[in-house]
Amino acid sequence: MLTSFWRVIKFSLLDLGRNFSLACMTILVLTLLLISVNTLLGVRLITQAGIKVIKQKIDLSIYLKPSVTNNEIKILEEKIKSIPEVKNVRLTSREQALEDFKAQYQDQPEIIAALSEVGDNPLGPAFVVKTDDPKDYEKIVLLISKPEYANLIEDKTFADTQTAIENITNITARIQEFALAISFLFGLIAVTIVYTTFRVAIYTERLEIGIKKLVGANNWFIRGPYLIEAIILSTISLGISLGAMWAATRAIDPYFAPLLGQANLLTNYLSSHILLVAGFEYVVVLFLTIFTSAMAMRQYLKA
Amino acid sequence: MINLHGVSKKYGRESIALHNISVSIGAGEFVSVVGQSGTGKTTLVKLLIAEERPTNGKISIGGWDITKIRQSEIPLLRRQIGVIFQDFKLLPNKTTTENVAFALEVAGERTKRIREIVPRVLDIVGLNSKSRNFPHQLSGGEQQRVAIARSLVHRPKILVADEPTGNLDAINTHEIIEILKKINSFGTTVVLVTHNREIVNHLNRRVISLSEGTIMSDEEQGKYKLT
Repeated sequence: MLTSFWRVIKFSLLDLGRNFSLACMTILVLTLLLISVNTLLGVRLITQAGIKVIKQKIDLSIYLKPSVTNNEIKILEEKIKSIPEVKNVRLTSREQALEDFKAQYQDQPEIIAALSEVGDNPLGPAFVVKTDDPKDYEKIVLLISKPEYANLIEDKTFADTQTAIENITNITARIQEFALAISFLFGLIAVTIVYTTFRVAIYTERLEIGIKKLVGANNWFIRGPYLIEAIILSTISLGISLGAMWAATRAIDPYFAPLLGQANLLTNYLSSHILLVAGFEYVVVLFLTIFTSAMAMRQYLKA
Repeated sequence: MINLHGVSKKYGRESIALHNISVSIGAGEFVSVVGQSGTGKTTLVKLLIAEERPTNGKISIGGWDITKIRQSEIPLLRRQIGVIFQDFKLLPNKTTTENVAFALEVAGERTKRIREIVPRVLDIVGLNSKSRNFPHQLSGGEQQRVAIARSLVHRPKILVADEPTGNLDAINTHEIIEILKKINSFGTTVVLVTHNREIVNHLNRRVISLSEGTIMSDEEQGKYKLT
C-alpha cells in the first residue's frame, strides 16, 4: 500500500515536471484567487473595526431645562435605563455643565463674558446616553419625545453621526461587493485554467493512461497522480497567498493603527485565526482543483 | 476458458460489429481468429478485455461472467488476460525494463518482486541483453517482444494478440509467432487475431473465421480460407 502510494506520488511529480509551465500558471491563478478572497476578508475586518470605533464615539445627549427638579431627573433616568438596549447613562449636573462649557470656550472670552452677563447658571443638566447599536437611539428619542417629557427636555443631538455610519456602511458594502465580484472572476478563471491544465496533462499522457488501464492498473493508480497534483498545486498556492497575506498585514497595520485605535489588527487576526482561514481556503481550493481535474479526467477513465 | 454465448455488439442502431457469436475456447488452446478488416475481430478483442460491453449475449472467462463486469473489477480481469497490439503501445521515455516493470508497478507489486520477475520475462522473449534500450533503439520485432514480456508479467491464463505482426517483416513475424507458441506451450491460452494467411497456415491450429460479424467457420486444424 505504501509502495503504491509512493509510486502515485512519483507519477504525479513526473506529470508536474512535464507540464511545468501550465502548473505554474495554475498556481498563479489559484494564488490570485486566494489573495482576492484575503483582500475581501481584510477590507471587511478594517471596515468593521472602523465602524466599531465610530459607534463607540456616538452618544445621545439629552439637554434638560434648568428648572428640572432632582426627582424629575431621577424618574427620567430610570425610564431611559429601562430600555434594554441602553448600555450606559451618565448625568452631567448643572454645575458640571457650566464647568464643561467654560472649559470648552476658555479661548473665547466674549462667550465667557456673555455667560457672566446672564448672571445665574443658564445651563441645565444633561444625560449622555450610550447604546451598543446607534440604531437603538431611535427608541430613546421616541421615549423622550412623548408629551409628558416636553417640559423637561430642552434639546437633543445625534442625527449627524447616524448619517456618518450610514455612509460608511454603504461604502463598505460597495467595496465588499467589488471584492466579491473580483473573487468570483478569479474563481471562474481558476476553474478554466485548472481544467485546461488537467486536460492538457491527461492528453499528453493518454498513451500512459491507456497502458495503465491495459495492464490492470486500478482507478487509484490512474486518478491518484492527478489527485496528488491537485493537492500539491493547492498547497503551494495556499502557502504563497498566506505568505503574501502575512507580509501585507505587516505592511498595512501601522497605517490603520491610529485610525482604529488598535495596533496590529490584521496581523493579530491572522495569527489567531490562521487555522480557520487557511483551513477554509484550503478546502475551497482543494474542492475546486479536485472537482475540476475529475471533470477533465472523466472521458479518459472509461473502460 | 473463454465462452461466448449469443454475443452481439452494436454501435448505434445501424452498425452491427458482431452478430450472435457463440464460441468456446478451452484452456491451453492456440486459436487464430481471422477475417478481413471490419469483420469484428478487434471488437471481439475489446469484449474479451472488457473495453466494450456486449449488446446481447453472455461472455465468461475462466468461469467468471464478465458480461456486466463492474468497473472496479476490470483491473483484476486485465491482470488475467495479457494483451498485445499491432502498435506495441510502449512508453517511449521508458527503457525495456521500465516498460515491463510499469505493468507491475501500477498493479502495486513490491519493488523486490518486480526485480525478480522482469528479468525472467525478458529472458522468455530473449531481450535480456536490451533491457536498458529505449523503444526507439529497438527493431519492430524487439518492441513487440517487449510488449509480450509486459503482457506476461502477471502470468496471465490468456494472451490475446491483436494483429501482433501487422507492422513486422517476415523474419520478425516468424520470431513473434515462435514466442507465442512457446508461451502457449507453458499452458497459456493464446488467441491470435490476424489476417496474415502465411501465419495461420503455418500454425496449423484451430482457426475461427469471421465474416460480417458472424462466425463463418471454426476448424480444429484450419487454414486461412478468406479471399
